[in-house]
Amino acid sequence: MGSSFDGRLSILEFHVLVALASGALYGYAITEAVEEESGGTLTPRAGSLYRVIARLMAWGFVGEVDPPGSEDQHPGLPRRWYALTPRGRSLLSEESRRLARAVALADAKLRPGRP
Amino acid sequence: MRSFFALLAWLFPRPFRERFGAELVERAVADVEHARREGFPSGFLELVATSTDLIRAAVMERIRPTRILGSHRQHEDEGLGMMTREWLRELHQAGRTLARSPGFLLAAVGTLALALGVNAGIFSVVDAVLVRPLPFDEPDRLVTIAASAPGSDLPEEFGVSAEFLIQYREEADQLDGVALFNAFTATLRYRDRTERVLMSWPSRSLFEVLGVQPELGRLPTPEDGDGVVVLSHAAWVGWFGGDPGVLGQSPFVIDGPRTVIGVMPPEFSFPSSGPLLWVPREEFDAEGIQPGRFGLSLVGRMAPGADHESLARQLGALARRLPERFGGSPRYAALIEQHVPVVRSLEEEMLGPVAGALWVLMGAVLVVFVIACTNVANLFSVRASARGRELAVRRVLGAGRARLVRSLMSEAAVVSVLAGALSLGLAAVVLPIFLRMAPDTLPRLAEVHLSGTTLIFTAAATACAALLCGLVPAVGASKVRLGRLRDGGRGSTPGRHWRRDGLVIAQTALALVLLIGSGLLVRSFAELRSVDPGYDTEDIFTFQFAPEQSHLQDGPSWARFHMGFLERLEALPGVRSAGIVENVPLDEGLRGVRWNTEETVSDPDAAKTVQVTFTGGDYFGTMGIEVLLGRALDERDLVNHGNVVVSQTTADLLWPGLNPIGRRLQSADVEGWHTVVGVVEDVLQYSFRDEPEPMIYLPLAGPTPDAWALPSPGYVVATREAATIAPRIRELVHEVAPEAPMYRTYTMAGLADASMARLSFTMLTLGMAAGLALLLGAIGLYGVLSYVVAQRSQEIGVRMALGARAGQVRRMVVGQGTRVVTLGVIPGLVAAALATRALGSLLFGVGTVDVATFVGTTLAMLLVGVVASYLPARRASSVDPVRSMRAT
Repeated sequence: MGSSFDGRLSILEFHVLVALASGALYGYAITEAVEEESGGTLTPRAGSLYRVIARLMAWGFVGEVDPPGSEDQHPGLPRRWYALTPRGRSLLSEESRRLARAVALADAKLRPGRP
Repeated sequence: MRSFFALLAWLFPRPFRERFGAELVERAVADVEHARREGFPSGFLELVATSTDLIRAAVMERIRPTRILGSHRQHEDEGLGMMTREWLRELHQAGRTLARSPGFLLAAVGTLALALGVNAGIFSVVDAVLVRPLPFDEPDRLVTIAASAPGSDLPEEFGVSAEFLIQYREEADQLDGVALFNAFTATLRYRDRTERVLMSWPSRSLFEVLGVQPELGRLPTPEDGDGVVVLSHAAWVGWFGGDPGVLGQSPFVIDGPRTVIGVMPPEFSFPSSGPLLWVPREEFDAEGIQPGRFGLSLVGRMAPGADHESLARQLGALARRLPERFGGSPRYAALIEQHVPVVRSLEEEMLGPVAGALWVLMGAVLVVFVIACTNVANLFSVRASARGRELAVRRVLGAGRARLVRSLMSEAAVVSVLAGALSLGLAAVVLPIFLRMAPDTLPRLAEVHLSGTTLIFTAAATACAALLCGLVPAVGASKVRLGRLRDGGRGSTPGRHWRRDGLVIAQTALALVLLIGSGLLVRSFAELRSVDPGYDTEDIFTFQFAPEQSHLQDGPSWARFHMGFLERLEALPGVRSAGIVENVPLDEGLRGVRWNTEETVSDPDAAKTVQVTFTGGDYFGTMGIEVLLGRALDERDLVNHGNVVVSQTTADLLWPGLNPIGRRLQSADVEGWHTVVGVVEDVLQYSFRDEPEPMIYLPLAGPTPDAWALPSPGYVVATREAATIAPRIRELVHEVAPEAPMYRTYTMAGLADASMARLSFTMLTLGMAAGLALLLGAIGLYGVLSYVVAQRSQEIGVRMALGARAGQVRRMVVGQGTRVVTLGVIPGLVAAALATRALGSLLFGVGTVDVATFVGTTLAMLLVGVVASYLPARRASSVDPVRSMRAT
């Protein structure tokens, strides 16, 4: 059945979307981007990562795309490339705005000198 | 490895596997390859972690499958999922099938549980001791610093002196901090309890360098001077009942009261010998330094970005400038020219001595695990061929190949999971026993337990076992030959013999490696046992006590007290003789002091370092230390100060080729001139592996009446009742000093055992692993031959009907078994020759390729092969030709 999207993204799901925001990537590159952008706090291993990709595809936020140009010249299996769908992009920007508001609120409350 | 992950990918539901399987495997392989480049444990750990992640993801995916758009099989994946339901049905069915053959179930589960259990046990130790980072801040940046001076007369490696510490602290920008540390035993008294305990006198900055914080109270500050003490968690609990009010208390430490300012957390222990408390000392002052007093141990924190080589270069350059700043003798200046700093990671320093032994044990139990899996795979294989007819029927009735594989895999899964669960129970029982056996010197022993990591490891090992034991026979057996239906279900399967033989060959080779390894350790142990340490280890009891009485003030009063006690001790029934020594061999270390003889006194650089201790009563007689020349110290020397006894090595060192009796010597650290009255045989003070150190024995009363007091020496008692005499001596101690408890009570035999604990522990554990491997290997061979005999009973019947004698048939079967074992011996010997190098420092008096051990264990292995083949051979020769042919 695969639970339908309930309006919440897990941290890993969010970071995978962020990783794809700047363009299509293949599996390993997604992990690297996630690791780097999360400051090393997220290091998804194969099983976990592909379940997240599968879920994001099932929700329609991520889709498979053709390899960009002559990029795919590496030996071994052909790489599969993933990119944000328009729906995924709008979800990500919505989620980022929500997080930004949350951060601003937290900052304001933590600032010294307030009652 | 790729096929291993491909197998794991099969655990995922089909739609997921079809879409992502190849990528998953590719990625998993890449991750493990990447980690493997960093060396053995990381690759292995990444393998475990990646497998666990795959299994976890597969299980999650089965419980909550993702509906992947465009998948044409969506409809099959509703609810728990069709696949899952099928698997559950299979597992249920497998359970029922297995329950019908309890013998098989017991053998398979028992074998795997044993192997998984020992793996879980050893893994918990390896994980706690070696894999988890040291409990310090950024432990990778911590190093120990020592010195070497190739070409000088100093030891290969030695501690630095104070001016090095000052120079390093002030000038080395590659160091963020550097601190002095040591460990020694001294008096701790709190209320009515007095003991000599292990403590450390480190630089005040030690805690800061290590990056640790107390669990209670605070760390020392410069204002504290040296009147404060930091307790270990163990001291806080053991001596102060874990009372938070301990801060501000002032127990008597070393030589006076010191105020408790902090308690360290339980996992903190430094150095690794585990001191009970730390007395922070004032930092050295550059004023008044006497250069060249070597022997200090340093720990430093490297600056970010520094590495061992660049640090060593900088420290070397800094040391060159020492004579210019601190002066010193020409000999010192020459030494500095030869000086090369020794920088080593703290982890290597702390764990290095045990790491080798532990990795050997981990390797050994993994080998046992592989053998156990092979055995169970073999059992399944035999069982699958025996069920060939049933499987063929199922195939004809329309069961797909995948279905058959699944059915056989399910049985392996049920067996493995049962074994995995049982093994954890086993490990929970065995681990505490194992830890009690382990040597006290094993660092971080207290941290060992069945942790979450161990559970994950066991789960992953269980999954591997299920795959190995299930898939190999299942894939083979699913190639069902439908012809089996036609020929009545009989017939031999010659094509598959090579696989079963291959399994036995592999088992033999692996078992032989472990056998040879433990054989070498057993021989080392025997060699070490036969070393003559210079004293007796049987029938000697030792103890200490520390009386607190106001009339005990100076050397003579203490000496009189001890001699009086010694008389009462010797009067105890069953005591042959008794003596006193400052540091009992194998229990405590000695102090090295530089001595000049009368002949060399004008040249301070000619002084030689010799260890000193002092004795009273009949020490040499009690310990069985032979007096080679002159006489032992006796009561005369309590009054006539200035007589000493030297060991043979000392005599050779100070007066080579001369008679030392009557010669005199002097030291800056011990008052007055000393005259040699006797020479005794050398003793091994630290361990049976060492060469004897030169030693000088001073009389109990000290070199002059007011030179020193010895409040708490070691007593040695020669008695046949060494193991049981302690309570009677305790009564006697209570009579003369009701305030003083008796402590450090040992038998010399016990101390000798403890000094060999690392070897005996590794030997026993490896021996058990080897025994287990041998047993499993023998069972494997027996199983294979039994099966072959059963398969060939018809052919054997024909041979016997044609006149073959029972003896010939037995020889044929035994010959077949022995051939397979012999084939296994050859790769086993080669692998052993390579693998025994890992034993390295554990061995004593025997090389890594010891011909006698190699030949002996090989013969033993062949013998076991013959015995394991003989039982099936007897069964074969008792085949009744008529019955076996009629059964056609």
